[in-house]
Amino acid sequence: MSDNRTLVPLSASSTNRNTIEYAVRTALADGPATLRLVYVHPPEVHADDSREQAATDLLKRASVWANEDGEQFDAELTIETAQLGTDEYLFSPSDIADTIARDAIQTGANRVLFDPSYDPGIGAPLLRPLEYELARFDAFTVEEAPAGRSARRTPFLARTSLPQIGAIFVISFVFYQILAADPTYWFEIVTGVVSAAIVAIGLSQVTFTRNPTWQTPARLVRHTIYIPYLLKEIIKSNILIAAVILHPKLPIDPRMTRIRPAVWGSLPMTALSNSITLTPGTLAVRIDGRTLTVHTLVPAAREGLFAGDLERAIRFVFYGREAAEITSPEQRGEAELIDSTDEPSSWEQDDGAPTDAAEEERTDTEPPTMNETDEGDDT
Amino acid sequence: MIETIRTVAIVGFILVGLFFTLVSATGVIRLPDVYSRAHTASQADTLGAGFALAGVALALGFSTTSFKTVLLLFFIFITNPTAAHAIARAADEEGIKPWTTDDDRTDADLYEEAMADE
Repeated sequence: MSDNRTLVPLSASSTNRNTIEYAVRTALADGPATLRLVYVHPPEVHADDSREQAATDLLKRASVWANEDGEQFDAELTIETAQLGTDEYLFSPSDIADTIARDAIQTGANRVLFDPSYDPGIGAPLLRPLEYELARFDAFTVEEAPAGRSARRTPFLARTSLPQIGAIFVISFVFYQILAADPTYWFEIVTGVVSAAIVAIGLSQVTFTRNPTWQTPARLVRHTIYIPYLLKEIIKSNILIAAVILHPKLPIDPRMTRIRPAVWGSLPMTALSNSITLTPGTLAVRIDGRTLTVHTLVPAAREGLFAGDLERAIRFVFYGREAAEITSPEQRGEAELIDSTDEPSSWEQDDGAPTDAAEEERTDTEPPTMNETDEGDDT
Repeated sequence: MIETIRTVAIVGFILVGLFFTLVSATGVIRLPDVYSRAHTASQADTLGAGFALAGVALALGFSTTSFKTVLLLFFIFITNPTAAHAIARAADEEGIKPWTTDDDRTDADLYEEAMADE
């Protein structure tokens, strides 16, 4: 059994030591084995040095442990380490699962072993959906290391912080008072405080992934500019589509298209695809990483989508005015018509010069506020 | 005088809302496939419900209740595209090919095709 290869995705966790020990013990039980330790980078960073350093340290520490454990066995243990997702944009369990699966298949691993408190850093607790996604692949088995003595379930409030709780408290209190009709009546204030406290403590873990910053109010202000703009776009395309539908000949030309908008992070991406779908004529069908598959009903809607007006507006909301100036997806070569949603996109097929050029250009104009795009500031 | 203008505006808003809801219903019947029908479903919600709720807010005047209709619209604007996207995504996952202009299959053909698959 020389081809006994185990892939262990690691993240900063208190049970890593235990998991490594278990991985080594089970892998070496029947002969020599290879242990591949991988770190999957969370989405919002573009090659942040300190984070990469932390990942390197984590992997180094883990391989030292594995070596230590391996010495107790006769069979030979080979250790590999790798960092995944440094140049990709992974923000859903299936993205991460695909990356892990791709690596596992490439390196011929026949087992994927998870730490019981594995968390790739994309927000909500995620091990279950990740295991579920990986179960689709036949090439390897998926396993979770047993939680050892030192394993602690994450305490109730450990993932959150005071500013996060405070922000949710204020939002829910204000919302309660709006619904309550008479904010000056003491009864409403007391019940409001109680319900806001329950909501804040109960939901703070799932609402924010990062502390709100001073950027957040600025974004809210820019949101108030964005909403009238969006309404204008909606009315414009509503009239257009209404004319098309009521036209006796029904002059439609539906086509699937695919774009890679220049927005980063799950919240801006959600805002963008929501806006795209709200505008009649364009409908977001699929979102994979940063690639957006959009069904368009008429050529005019398609042109609007490729010109990237909404995308520009979203960038303005989340990153500020200077970020709005990035060229349109059509000019970047990141927009295309497709016949089937299964075919790979042109910018994935050829890793050639044009996309690289676009990539570079993008990093130049990249806004400085990038790394906190995940706040739930959509009031 | 002011009252008359207000009544006219309310009726106007509701009529425009009704118009877009009607267009949306027409679209669902006339358009060829699931993807294009999902487009017009969002029309009923955005402008149809939007104008109708604007009429309601105006009729209620300046009060917390009219503020709630604005909130209502806000939530519709968040949930409606989510539902449209879920339908389109489910269709894509089922492998349904979008209709294009050079596609001359009729509803009857599609129905038979689907029955044959089962």
